[in-house]
Amino acid sequence: MTLPRRFAKAIRILALMCLLLVLVAALYGVIRFVPNYAYPQATMEAHFKYGSLGGDQLTGIPVKIWDAMPLVCADTLVAIAGDRLAPDYVQRVAHYFGDARDAPVRLALSREGYKALGFLYETDAQGREHALPVGMSRRRSLGLDRTYLNCAVCHTSTVQAHAEADAQLILGMPANLFNLYDFEQFMMRCAVDGGGRRLVQLDLLAEINSLHGPLNWVDKHLVYPLAIWALQDTMHFLNNVAGFSARQPHWGPGRNDTFTNNKVFLYGYDWRRHMPDWHVTGQVGPQDLGVVDFPSTWLQGLRKQRDDGEPMQLHWDGNNSKVEERNLNAAVATSSLPATINHAALECIEQWMETLAPPVYPLPIDRQKASQGRRLYRQYCAECHGRNGRDFSGARVGHVTDINDIKTDRYRLDNYTSDLALNMATTYAGTSRQIKSHRCPGGVTYSGKGEQRDYRYTHYKKTQGYANMPLDGIWARAPYLHNGSVPTLWHLLQPTHQRPSQFYRGNNLVHPTQVGFEYQASHNPLGHRLFLYDTSVPGNGNWGHEGTAYGTELSRDEKWALLEFLKTF
Amino acid sequence: MIKPIGLQESASCTRADNIDTGGLYRRQVNKGCDMKTRFGRYRFCLVTLLVLLVPVGYVAWDRGFRELPQPNWVMASAESRYKYGSIGAEYEAGIPYWVFQVLPRVFPEKLPGPGGYAALGVPWEEGQELPIGFVKKTIGFPRVGNNCAVCHTAQYRLSVSDKPTFVVTGPGHTSNVEGFFTFLIECAKDPRFNAENILPQIALSTKLDWIDTLLYKYLIIPITRKRLQDMAYQFTWMFNDDYPHWGPGRDDAMNLTKYFMIGVEPPDDGSFGPTDFPAIWQLEKYQNAPEVANPKRLNYAGDTWDAQSVIMDSALGIIGAEPKNDEQFSSDMAWLEAFLSRYPAPAYPLPINRDLAQQGEGVFADHCADCHGVDSDKVARPMPIEQIGTSPERLLTWSPDYAKKANAIVAQAGITRRGLVEQPLPGYKVPFLDGIWLRGPYLHNGSVPSLRDLLTPANHRPTEFYRGYDVFDPVNVGFIVSGEAAEKEGTLFQVAAKGNSNRGHEFGTALSEQQKNALLEYLKTL
Repeated sequence: MTLPRRFAKAIRILALMCLLLVLVAALYGVIRFVPNYAYPQATMEAHFKYGSLGGDQLTGIPVKIWDAMPLVCADTLVAIAGDRLAPDYVQRVAHYFGDARDAPVRLALSREGYKALGFLYETDAQGREHALPVGMSRRRSLGLDRTYLNCAVCHTSTVQAHAEADAQLILGMPANLFNLYDFEQFMMRCAVDGGGRRLVQLDLLAEINSLHGPLNWVDKHLVYPLAIWALQDTMHFLNNVAGFSARQPHWGPGRNDTFTNNKVFLYGYDWRRHMPDWHVTGQVGPQDLGVVDFPSTWLQGLRKQRDDGEPMQLHWDGNNSKVEERNLNAAVATSSLPATINHAALECIEQWMETLAPPVYPLPIDRQKASQGRRLYRQYCAECHGRNGRDFSGARVGHVTDINDIKTDRYRLDNYTSDLALNMATTYAGTSRQIKSHRCPGGVTYSGKGEQRDYRYTHYKKTQGYANMPLDGIWARAPYLHNGSVPTLWHLLQPTHQRPSQFYRGNNLVHPTQVGFEYQASHNPLGHRLFLYDTSVPGNGNWGHEGTAYGTELSRDEKWALLEFLKTF
Repeated sequence: MIKPIGLQESASCTRADNIDTGGLYRRQVNKGCDMKTRFGRYRFCLVTLLVLLVPVGYVAWDRGFRELPQPNWVMASAESRYKYGSIGAEYEAGIPYWVFQVLPRVFPEKLPGPGGYAALGVPWEEGQELPIGFVKKTIGFPRVGNNCAVCHTAQYRLSVSDKPTFVVTGPGHTSNVEGFFTFLIECAKDPRFNAENILPQIALSTKLDWIDTLLYKYLIIPITRKRLQDMAYQFTWMFNDDYPHWGPGRDDAMNLTKYFMIGVEPPDDGSFGPTDFPAIWQLEKYQNAPEVANPKRLNYAGDTWDAQSVIMDSALGIIGAEPKNDEQFSSDMAWLEAFLSRYPAPAYPLPINRDLAQQGEGVFADHCADCHGVDSDKVARPMPIEQIGTSPERLLTWSPDYAKKANAIVAQAGITRRGLVEQPLPGYKVPFLDGIWLRGPYLHNGSVPSLRDLLTPANHRPTEFYRGYDVFDPVNVGFIVSGEAAEKEGTLFQVAAKGNSNRGHEFGTALSEQQKNALLEYLKTL
């Protein structure tokens, strides 16, 4: 063999090896990055708590980065959560053992950080906390496990019957403890402003190393650098669509500004141009503020029919009468949009919520007093609020009561502008799908009739009042009124001037008598400081739903009897 | 460089030549290559090419040009067809649906206020994905065009908390058409009008497959931008800072015809005459007896001979080009003419004081009927401008010469119609007063807010007011034009601006207060 021929052979071998390498890399790439699936859940309850609706494909945060965020942005977290975090939190985060002890301790610190924002963690039989809080999904996509909000984050909470009792997790309950406002602020500020200097590769990779051990070469040099870059982009995106809340009064836990979010996120409302900063000007109009309590999501099936055969008007102002459309729009908050939503996953939850029942009142009920209360209830309340907690018949249940009658705070009503109602009808345009039966977690079957369903919203309407709600599980739905401005049912039965102008929100300790949660203590049973709700803040007004017809003129005894009956709902 | 397939084929044949065989055989081989193999290979190439071209061609046709009928509900009723049915404007003037939907989200700062297209005051029914007068039709990809209803649908509310009532064929006094054009053009001028900014916003609303994504990226978005930018040139006069905005409920119809249909070159000729969108209900009232000497005519200056011509010319303006399909165009126009001929003017929605109205009928007979009576020989005929004394600006925007040019262009497109009047126009046409309660603001240029103001001497009529607010004022008969809500939702109108004069038509201004009240009550009954 001559030298050139040998050379040519070497080149051929080299080329072959290169090709092989490329093939192996491509194969790795396909196996690693193509799979895109939500982690399957064993039961419907688990699906609700940890399942994915698809939005995590758009804004999913890699789980290992999620774990690291409260640690790398501990100072941001303290700035936001303040004294709801232990005073030594930052010091503990700053301390490393430098050995195997770090991982469990630091993961616990990470969860401690999220708990300060109101996230709930379940513990298993061995007392180990679940890796992700209730309301965070887990999905494999683009080569990493990712997580993002799902329905349960705003519709699950805990109840403590008395100070010594264990907290019970209740699915479908308004998430009284979850502080969405602070959570958004934390995510955005960690990525965007001052704290943003920490959401960088060096800090994150080091922290991931301490939490989960060393990353392999590909993850360290390729996957995570890209994921971190993408995360910063996601956070800037979130800041564009949710950053307006920093200009609003603090919502407090258990509340959300649903439709300002809608305006900004889906319809391009230019908040930077139109919205004044309340913290600077002290001014904010209802077009820019419509904060409400998270609602309960029990017994949705019964809400599909009212006395006149029509479906009930849903949402606080009754702007939509179709449960499925309302659900689709709620799913927007989980980034589940026409391009990302998993309709089958939502259908399972939809069907499950049709019969999901509220919890039973955890303290003893005086049956005799309750039966006195029933008579008063029938006389004063049943026409608008249904016969009882399971029978929602009543001529005006699910109808809207005009704002001039109900006279409660107008902000939420006026926040839902007629132009928003019009724009909403463009959402899900061109999306259509055949509704077929399919399996849901836990072996349940979702039954579809094969009908073609057009997903575009067609039911949104501007109304001029607030809707009359059924009262299932009302004892667990405190504070009351759409904006959560009245701490207990007892206060709701008093005229405005006898309702507290300030009280604490975010306690899960059942009030022993007044029906609602403890509202006077500044700290909860775990010693965490609570949010002081101020009814003088715009949108927080506690007036309305008062006068003879609303029961505020009843005698004390009558009111106590009525409350006793309402505990049975 | 990639060689054309044919060249590669002949090269491979030449290589076959080099096979070392006997001379004769070699020639045969060569011949075979020339005659048989080459032909066979060409055929093979051709077939391959066809096999490749057919799907590519199909996809191009399917995604770019395939026409799908509108959904059944659109044509289910005459009113719904009028509001949402295509008149063929989606071929040339259509905007790609998804681009249309996301533009207000990408460029919210270019609209007069929050609320997307709702900020333009276009009539829009709850639950509908597009406002009235906006048509969704798929020609390859879904597109949005317009029809008559965008300018000719009135809306009113009787109280602030009411939902608007929409009256099709009524004057679209809230529709800000200039704002719509301006918005589109301003978007197209913005360097962010590109696939990088628009596609992610579309991705929030729908899932485009990869073919559509490529089409949007490389064709649809750039072409849309180019077309909108080109439109700016023809709108030069509209953007002239010396002229006021048309504002809601008006357009400069004759100048639109000049610059768009006739193709008059900018800059403008100094004329500017926006007028209110007219009510186009019960057009059969314009029918003339055969051979009548002084026939009834249409348009504010009696510019057009008959209803059919006005409908066609307006439709051509919306289509922005020759109709794609002449037969379809004729049948659409015939349907519209039939629909508009008999569509009734709306009845007054509030109680009427019958006694007072009866007195008013007498006042009307004495002071108004000579011109405005349905049987008058003056109604629907031009009245010399010297006699009316209203703003002449609208008259100055047109001339017989333009009428001839426009008629010639329409005739050239193979469309037969009686057409525009090719004679000097002495003044404004005396209008019929059917449904006059819903036709405020008044006069051709909408410069007088209410009928009561019109019965007031010009010196005492409002000089500034807000147009485009839809809450009805039953006392003065017109829409509410002042107050916080009107200022927020409406647009300031100043009579001092060009074309906006509120002078003239000082008829009936000397009536007593009692007579005026009676007359107003009677006018509600028309």
